[in-house]
Amino acid sequence: MTTLPLPNVDYVPLPPPDADVLTTACAYCIVACGYKIYRWPVGTEGGAKADENAFGIDFPTGGALTPWVSPSQHNIAMHEGRPHHVVVVPDYATEVVNPQGNHSIRGGTLAQKIYNPDTPTRQRLQYPMVRIGGVLTPVSWDLVTDVMAEVSKHVLENHGEHAWGMKTYSYEYFENTYAISKLVNRAIGTPVYAPHDKPQAAEDAAGLDDAGVNSFSASFEDWGACEVAFMSGVDPYETKTVLFTHWLMTGDNPNKKLIFVTPHKTMGVEYGLKNGGLWLPIVPGTDTVLHLALAKIIIDNGWQDQEFIDKWVNTKWEIESGYGRGTRNTRWQWRTTWGRWQSDWEDFQKFIAKEKAAELDEAAAITGLDRDLILATAEAIAKPRADGSRPKTSFMLEKGNYWSNNYMNTASLAAVGLLCGAGNRPGRVISRGGGHQRGGMGAGGGKGFLSPEKYPGRRKKALNVDRWVIDGNVRFMWLMGSTWFPAMLASQELADRVADLTVRNEHHPRSVDKEHLIQTYKDRVESGGMVLVDSDIYPVEPLNTRFADIVLPAACWGEVDFTRCNAERRLRLYSKFNDAPGEAKPDWWAIGQFAQKMGFDGFDWKESNDIFEEAARFSRGGVLNYYALAVHAKREGKKAHEKLRELGTTGIQTPIRVKDGELVGTKRLHDPDNDWGEVEDVTTDQKWLYAFGTHTGKANLLKTPWANDGWIDFYEAIKPRKDKGEVWITNGRVNETWQSGFDDLRKPYLAKRWPWPFIVIHPDDAAPQGIESGDLVEGFNDTVYVQTGEPIGVKEKDLTFTKLMEGGHIKTTTGQFVAVAIVSDEMRPGIAKAAFNYPGSMANSVCHAVPDPVSGNYRYKLGRGVLRKVGESAYKKNFLEMSLKPRPIA
Amino acid sequence: MTNVLSHEKGGHATSSCMSRRNFLILGGASVTVLGLLGATGTALANAPELVMSSYARKVVGKVSALKAGEAVEFSYPTDDIQNILVKLGEEAGGGVGEERDIVAFNTVCPHMGGIMDAGTFKASHSVLGPCPLHLSTFDLTKHGMVVSGHSTESLPQIVLAIEGDDIVATGVMGLFYGYSRNPSGA
Repeated sequence: MTTLPLPNVDYVPLPPPDADVLTTACAYCIVACGYKIYRWPVGTEGGAKADENAFGIDFPTGGALTPWVSPSQHNIAMHEGRPHHVVVVPDYATEVVNPQGNHSIRGGTLAQKIYNPDTPTRQRLQYPMVRIGGVLTPVSWDLVTDVMAEVSKHVLENHGEHAWGMKTYSYEYFENTYAISKLVNRAIGTPVYAPHDKPQAAEDAAGLDDAGVNSFSASFEDWGACEVAFMSGVDPYETKTVLFTHWLMTGDNPNKKLIFVTPHKTMGVEYGLKNGGLWLPIVPGTDTVLHLALAKIIIDNGWQDQEFIDKWVNTKWEIESGYGRGTRNTRWQWRTTWGRWQSDWEDFQKFIAKEKAAELDEAAAITGLDRDLILATAEAIAKPRADGSRPKTSFMLEKGNYWSNNYMNTASLAAVGLLCGAGNRPGRVISRGGGHQRGGMGAGGGKGFLSPEKYPGRRKKALNVDRWVIDGNVRFMWLMGSTWFPAMLASQELADRVADLTVRNEHHPRSVDKEHLIQTYKDRVESGGMVLVDSDIYPVEPLNTRFADIVLPAACWGEVDFTRCNAERRLRLYSKFNDAPGEAKPDWWAIGQFAQKMGFDGFDWKESNDIFEEAARFSRGGVLNYYALAVHAKREGKKAHEKLRELGTTGIQTPIRVKDGELVGTKRLHDPDNDWGEVEDVTTDQKWLYAFGTHTGKANLLKTPWANDGWIDFYEAIKPRKDKGEVWITNGRVNETWQSGFDDLRKPYLAKRWPWPFIVIHPDDAAPQGIESGDLVEGFNDTVYVQTGEPIGVKEKDLTFTKLMEGGHIKTTTGQFVAVAIVSDEMRPGIAKAAFNYPGSMANSVCHAVPDPVSGNYRYKLGRGVLRKVGESAYKKNFLEMSLKPRPIA
Repeated sequence: MTNVLSHEKGGHATSSCMSRRNFLILGGASVTVLGLLGATGTALANAPELVMSSYARKVVGKVSALKAGEAVEFSYPTDDIQNILVKLGEEAGGGVGEERDIVAFNTVCPHMGGIMDAGTFKASHSVLGPCPLHLSTFDLTKHGMVVSGHSTESLPQIVLAIEGDDIVATGVMGLFYGYSRNPSGA
């Protein structure tokens, strides 16, 4: 037994009045709260009196909601090679995003993210490294990019562009993602690319897109103003904190009714229930049935918003209009006009009337929800009041929805929203809540058409990179800022296969001699193996600690000037305020070095602003369009970054347009009030600014028959098997963690809160196994399905689970992980929830890597398995780490 | 410094961050035990008490007057800083008394200063909260650690000692919300 001195900070330095002040936004969730950075040289400090500190207020501040610096918000950083105090605090003066300086625990501890070798951030990757005899060995950028370029040329010449792939974040700032896109799509020209959260480069919430609703069409004000919020597969309290703690708890209408569809009663759910809301603890994967039942109740009672439907929903003829005799094989085209999903108001009513799963009793049985609860939900979201007015209902969806049954859940939710008259009006929106921020910027010229994948009928689909790798088709793979295996499915199987192709291959370098490295890697490639490069800021287990041949150190938030948007498309500059450690460089710089050695033109950027300005014209077609800002900056003789810096934490909502000579942001997409008539200056006009995002500007009402063969046979196969004692093992995050924990585990306070991943288990499921809170528990699935091969469906049923199984394209394997149990009735019985993508345990190992054949997305949330007690964790009886208390306490 | 928004003049030199050494260095299990690791909570009875603190000592309650699960409010180290004293009924980090279950915590939420009090204490979970502003909750068995919520620090814990039937506050672990330096009360 040992004792530890607890750090007992009873003092924090205050910034002096002459401290440098810079603005940024939070590095983490989609909300992107505004933050201010105060920086001053070590050796001086501000004082407690108002005229002695940069806040201009007396300390103690004597009340709530005042500027304050918690000890976690202070650090020492290097700036221009000299030590500086740095204080990172929410912007208390801001009127957008996070009024009053509201913030989450994640953003509130941003200062602890700063590189400081006295803290666990000492683990930052600082030099390019090559694995020699299993050990990562420092080398120069020049050498490593020479080697990467020579090997890549060899791969492209001998195996083609389909053997060269990348998997990267989609969000880590415009400057980096534009460089990635330019390399992948235009310079290399490969279809082997997937963002961090998907096996394929395609839509996240495909059914929503196909309905014509942009996933981020809403403004935070809409969530604040709505009267009813229907939240599907999400509690924003846990994953986009200030969207909940400010906009949903208060906003323009603090008395809104909150309806949650999730098997986990988290804190936001508890708050909703205490304030007149509803909790629908749904059986995983069955949201579509709930949506069908809601639609049927609404239609049977005549509660639909008929005026809205008549004006804004495509008729049969409008859906077909404008196609001529074209092939209709673009993804949204074939999904909305061919086959089973196409519908319109007349057809939808007939469909609902005949759909068995839409009947209340049937729906209650499938979803596991009380029929009265479903009725109450339909009433709350749609029933007109006595005076004929309608509730202002908004619809939010996130991973619990679109990561369990991707196409059907999103299409059916959009349909319910449209019936309620939502989608393009203040307080009446349909939008994702969001996960990562919106930092993706394309460079045009995608090579998705080279994807070998086809839905039956020669219909285009994006390439599944995981399967392409598993099948041995990739010879050079570059990962960037992604954990890959724990983020994807059948994680252990995927990791095992990558190990086969890399560390278990016989060709490994014995020295850092350039020619030796190049020849060894060429031998690897020719033996059927794969050369793996990984760019990151930290060691990532097992990707770069055990497998990657080449590891590149990245510079990140606060170390380079970057830009990106949040969930309401608000664009801000994320200021550089300290030096990157060692030789760490922004990823765009690494791409630039590599691309120039490959002989590609247009990669010789000197600073990140060069890319921001270059990318501006490529932003014009999208919802993140900031072209007008870049043009105006140029006219004013400024860098575009500097023009954006002037807008501070307020920034501007994209698409940016010009009105009366001024830059004007766009609050809400699809809103007819956005139609200003004449298009001014360099404004890019888009019909989806003031109408829905379809060819007609009207929304598509899509139908989603529950028992269709693209889904139901898979669902029947992956349900927990009672005879084996299995439960659903779904996964998700909690408020105090961010994604893979890459920063959390290096922030002392957060590492103490969640030192190890959790699994929340209902007492009824824990008791038979003798599991108590604090015990280590193994989740084990003895039948994990993994699709192999068969990228092309020819006959109609080729890509159904049954046909894939018959054809030998479903491999059966096992998967397990170990997590610390929290036994609590906050879970629905029969469903356990494990921490998603947290170091130490890959909960996705018990989930099946068989994508939705329609959209190509995985069903991430549908794991299953038995729960077995392994022993007691270190946290069961200590008082220092990992609270095991339940979350919903009110 | 081209990338600076404002750069006013002023400020003065003061002590550096760590010069004031009034933090607690805590030993093993003694009457003011804090941070005890391990399963039984019995050993180290002879470990020296190593508390260095300039905080005032103040009697804040009587052991015999405490009822398990009922929080009592008191001020410390100054009259305008409100805290609760509670016998949790389960062993806790920093707990004193025979069952090591008597603890005391500040009641101002370190997130944004929301006011909690004895009525906010949830005896069934040994949790303080939720904070009325943004719903943070705190685990009083684990030194006031955030259970769920936004505070970037644990609740400041009032260090306690037992002297006969008296419960004595002897120090503070953690910075009070709104303060740049804790008052000592001395």
